[in-house]
Amino acid sequence: MASDSSVTVAQGVPAIRAGQGRSFLLRRLHSLSGIVPVGAFLVEHFISNAFATNGPRAYAEQVKFLSSLPFVPVLEWVGIYLPLLYHALYGFYIWFRGESNVKDYPFAGNFMYAAQRWTGAIAFCYIAWHTYTMRFTGIHLLTHNDAAFSKVQMEFQHPWAIAFYMVGIIAASWHFGYGLFLFAAKWGITVSQRSRKAFGLVCTGITLVFITVGILTMSSFFKPQWKNTPEHLPGWQAEQSQNH
Amino acid sequence: MAKTVIIKIKRQDSPKTQSRWEEFELTWKPGMNVISAMMEIAANPVTRSGKATTPIAYDSNCLEEVCGSCAMLINGRARMACSALVDKLEQPITLEPFSKFPVVRDLQVDRNVIFENLKRVKAWVPVDGTYDLGSGPRMSPKEQEETYPVSRCISCCCCMEACPQFNESTGFVGAATIAQVRLFNQHPTGAALKHERLQALMGDGGIQECGFAQNCVEVCPKDIPLTKAIADTGREVMKQAIKDFFRG
Repeated sequence: MASDSSVTVAQGVPAIRAGQGRSFLLRRLHSLSGIVPVGAFLVEHFISNAFATNGPRAYAEQVKFLSSLPFVPVLEWVGIYLPLLYHALYGFYIWFRGESNVKDYPFAGNFMYAAQRWTGAIAFCYIAWHTYTMRFTGIHLLTHNDAAFSKVQMEFQHPWAIAFYMVGIIAASWHFGYGLFLFAAKWGITVSQRSRKAFGLVCTGITLVFITVGILTMSSFFKPQWKNTPEHLPGWQAEQSQNH
Repeated sequence: MAKTVIIKIKRQDSPKTQSRWEEFELTWKPGMNVISAMMEIAANPVTRSGKATTPIAYDSNCLEEVCGSCAMLINGRARMACSALVDKLEQPITLEPFSKFPVVRDLQVDRNVIFENLKRVKAWVPVDGTYDLGSGPRMSPKEQEETYPVSRCISCCCCMEACPQFNESTGFVGAATIAQVRLFNQHPTGAALKHERLQALMGDGGIQECGFAQNCVEVCPKDIPLTKAIADTGREVMKQAIKDFFRG
């Protein structure tokens, strides 16, 4: 008989540790952080950037408005970076502990489970690069509001950057849209199958709206009338000092 | 030549031995299912290559999908062997023991974890005592209709085997136990332990580990609305957690 002592005996899955640990709090916090503040910021970010469809001046005005908010560093760190980092890192922790099995169970929900992990990872890589290039390197937009349009336009000189923006927008929109669906299901808002189906359609709609807005925003940087927008908009500096 | 059925079975002599595959070729019979095919093998335990072997070890009892014993991986998917009709399966049919439960022998696995989980969430109605408590409160037909589907759970563990979150690193409790919490919390007398059950589900491996892949509800042989039970219980657990925090 093939008795092999090197074969590890499976211990099996442990039973629930009732009343132990903090994973409930951490996991629910992960779920919530995806909606507020990370999801809320995503909405704001898409809306703010959509001002680019009205041209460099409108775009600069919106950047000026955001820069003029009180306690910008606090808003950035507490409202965006830290929650985003928590959501991303805890998300990877969740991913690595799951065992995706789409091949054996090729159901829609199971595919979306796997896709939620992939889109999250792609969005995270994109966001890390995007934040580094747009916020932490190059001309500082919080002090040079009018340079925003040209900074994005310069970025789009590279075809790979355009592709990465497209992928990033799609991944983030997908992750957010299905994240809303998961939030509603897990927190017991959409309990019935019927409500989940209806809300699933709404979430699909939200995803598509985000992707559309993202692509329209991107396309405005290629419009012939705004081609080669200068780093400093003519008259902007004088206008600003006049208002003060 | 008579029509035949090819079955490949993953076998293992004991919990500590290496597994191996054996292939069998059986004469086709009308209405054959996976259990009856294994009964045929037991009657003549010879592999396709003509080698004498032992009958397959597997759990089974009712043979009508109500006892929950004969769950296994059939063509890679968790389901009950008794209701798996050979004519509806792609050949060769592969049979494997559940992958997330310790193998006892061949297709028999140790499913103790579900019973341990049911104990830890107190999935029962607390009526033990030293004197007759009389009849319990009545349940309306509407309540009965809602709870009956959940009461059909046969503890087969298909929902757990198919769940991507049910594994050794998460120690997730699984859909079946969460649905039972829902069932007993909805019972007018069982509700006495509602808080304890919800608190148990907040522990590590609790309801928060659900990733809502929804495989559970797809594979459940009893069509239990498991995702509904999870969503509903998720809300109750959250409410309980907030209450516990603010009111102590």
